[in-house]
Amino acid sequence: MSETPKLVLFQCQWCLFAPADQEWVDTQLPENIHLAKVPCTGRINPLYLLNAVQSGADGVMVSGCLPEQCHFKTGNIAARRQLEEFSDYLNHIGYEQDRIRFLWLDLQDRGVIQKELAAFEAQITALGPAHNLATRVAETVGGANA
Amino acid sequence: MNLILKKDHLKHLLNAWRQDYEVYAPQSLQNFTHFLPLQDGFELAFDKAHNTRIPPKALFLPTSEALLKFTRFGGYEEVPSETAPRLIFGIHPCDAHAMTMLDTVFEQERYTDPLWKARREATVVVGLGCDEPCKTGFCTTVGSGPFNHAGLDAILTDLGEIFLVEILTDKGEYLFTQLETASEDQSMQASEVQQAAKASMPIAFETEGLKQKLDQNFASPYWEEVSRSCLGCGVCTFLCPTCFCFDIVDEAQRGERVRNWDTCMFRTYSLEASGHNPRPSRVERTRQRLSHKYSYWLDQINQIGCTGCGRCVRYCPVGLDIRAMLRKAHQLPSEVLHA
Amino acid sequence: MLMPDIDALKAEAKRILSEGMVDMVIGFKAGDTPLHPQPAFFKTPDEVDQLVYNALCQNNLATYLTRFPKNQKIGMVVRGCESRSVNALVFEGQHPKDGLYLIGVPCEGIIDWRKIVEQTGEEVFSIFEQSNNTVLVESKSGFFTLEKETLLHESCSRCIHPNPISANVVIGELLPEGDPALAREKVAAFASLSMEERHAWFRQEAERCIRCYACREACPMCYCEECFVDHITPRWTESGTTPAGMQGWHIVRAFHQTGRCTSCGACERACPMDIKMTYLTEKLNEDMRRKYNFEVGLDATTPPPFSTVTLDDKSRFVI
Repeated sequence: MSETPKLVLFQCQWCLFAPADQEWVDTQLPENIHLAKVPCTGRINPLYLLNAVQSGADGVMVSGCLPEQCHFKTGNIAARRQLEEFSDYLNHIGYEQDRIRFLWLDLQDRGVIQKELAAFEAQITALGPAHNLATRVAETVGGANA
Repeated sequence: MNLILKKDHLKHLLNAWRQDYEVYAPQSLQNFTHFLPLQDGFELAFDKAHNTRIPPKALFLPTSEALLKFTRFGGYEEVPSETAPRLIFGIHPCDAHAMTMLDTVFEQERYTDPLWKARREATVVVGLGCDEPCKTGFCTTVGSGPFNHAGLDAILTDLGEIFLVEILTDKGEYLFTQLETASEDQSMQASEVQQAAKASMPIAFETEGLKQKLDQNFASPYWEEVSRSCLGCGVCTFLCPTCFCFDIVDEAQRGERVRNWDTCMFRTYSLEASGHNPRPSRVERTRQRLSHKYSYWLDQINQIGCTGCGRCVRYCPVGLDIRAMLRKAHQLPSEVLHA
Repeated sequence: MLMPDIDALKAEAKRILSEGMVDMVIGFKAGDTPLHPQPAFFKTPDEVDQLVYNALCQNNLATYLTRFPKNQKIGMVVRGCESRSVNALVFEGQHPKDGLYLIGVPCEGIIDWRKIVEQTGEEVFSIFEQSNNTVLVESKSGFFTLEKETLLHESCSRCIHPNPISANVVIGELLPEGDPALAREKVAAFASLSMEERHAWFRQEAERCIRCYACREACPMCYCEECFVDHITPRWTESGTTPAGMQGWHIVRAFHQTGRCTSCGACERACPMDIKMTYLTEKLNEDMRRKYNFEVGLDATTPPPFSTVTLDDKSRFVI
């Protein structure tokens, strides 16, 4: 049986318009999902994704706002180009493209992030653990907090 | 007393050594040669290139090594120094000589590097002299030579079908017990090969008075001129058998304190926490490289800090040739430094 | 390389120096060893007599542009890829266009010295380029006559733009543009390997790395005063030859060239460990061509894809 995948979620702080959704992410996010909140997806340096991948993430999700809904006007569309190219590039050298998912949320969406995360986790579980590129994993049992 | 090793017996001998030592010898890696541990079915690569790209100092001072492993809130453990016996076969005299110079850095009275020391003590070094020295090498210019003995436990001279083996230390004695003694003729033949090899190497630059010229011309505009095309990469220093600088960093994410090769050619090497950099540009850093090797090492151990292996000449991406740089440096005026 | 008219090159370099149009001309001079002509910086017309220009001139001279103050007037002998690098640097504000005088030379390709020594051994005594597109080499192992085309660096075999672009003067006959399909096919061939094969190749190349940064320094577009590898906070990548460090370095350096790399191959030619990297940059360059119809350096004003934003991008992900 496959083990629980390690996932990383880069969440733009504006994209979950409904307070219930944001509260769910803040308090009820499953343990296997590591949260990194950013002021805008435009803030995401591709090296954040690389770090997640090298640290052993089996899947990385980036959630942000739809084009034209960005709080900072164009942050999300700048991110979209760079980050999608980066995930394409990682696919080229051994990290499957399907392991990196971008979720562009509408202001009017409710309950979407929970569903998408669950679907993403199922997809990653089916893909299996990521073998390649996980070179920056701490060896000690229990991780850096041991 | 010299011994004879028949070339077609070499593999057998290396395999015999593998029972007691981890044996390293030059083997093919891509288009060049590299000191790799011998595995079953190994193929030696002596003829291909005259020397490995990476000098064998990497077997004693690895490009990166963990010193400590630690956890964020827990303790740490030191990585133990390796002590498994090793044998390096086929090292050239320039590289072996360089290692004796690095010994003066890592095994000082007050400070001894336990990792370096353990590796040196556990390793036997068998050299192969250069009967046809390379054109880019200049070992004889800097006080070394194609059959220099420094740092070797035994040295081989290629005589066609056979090697003549000269035992140089006690460590070397145990290795060759099964071999037949060399005849006087064979010893003489080897001696002739060695003399001819030394004689075939032209003097690349004048070393007499070179140190003084370098010291006196610290402020010369020559350094700006000679460093202009230098890219400021680390090829010359990393491929140099006498370079030893290192940097220690904490890779906190992975819980390891790591020692990495470092180079004075990088801006960050001399960059201080205040932001001040005593060597702010490639001008100062190039001056530093030449002066360290050909002046400051002399102050430290009375030897030129270079054994003329020629790697910096062969692999500099912009074709800079340290021999030419030093020839020009020697022609600089002698200046009297005013106090 | 189409033997450039060296006299015409010298005459032009001397002219712009003597007329005060530039403070220096960057070109090449004879090397101290046969395989390596050296980048040279001529400040007077007399010094230009040392100018040498042939297929062994393996460095992208544009890398020196960012090492001089912006108010200096600089002349440079440039080939196709180099001129595009210069244009890219001008676009990035690294030197004003009117402070440059580019002497363009159409290029038939740069010889990769490794391909010579593969056949002749590393002890090369002399090299002569002959007019029938062969190269005569004398080495310790004897004399060799080699077809120049077989010696070209890989990047040159796929070159699309051999002619200098927006040079002040061009010396030599213009060459036909190369076939973009060659670059495309190379990327496609790699992409058609399985994920595990691609990763194995990447890992195998990266693990020879000694972090000397010759690739970075040889690249004209790597001019950051503080490279990402120099950072401690945040620790973007490991600095040594651990797998994380070596892989992180290659992945990110290539990615920082997206929309900026001119496929000159200087990075590979500089590497002392013969590491392949252009398979990474070519993938990115091909994506820029295919997705955004963008090639860097064809002029000095078109912004690269990563420095623009648009609502029109097609995304892998819905909406």
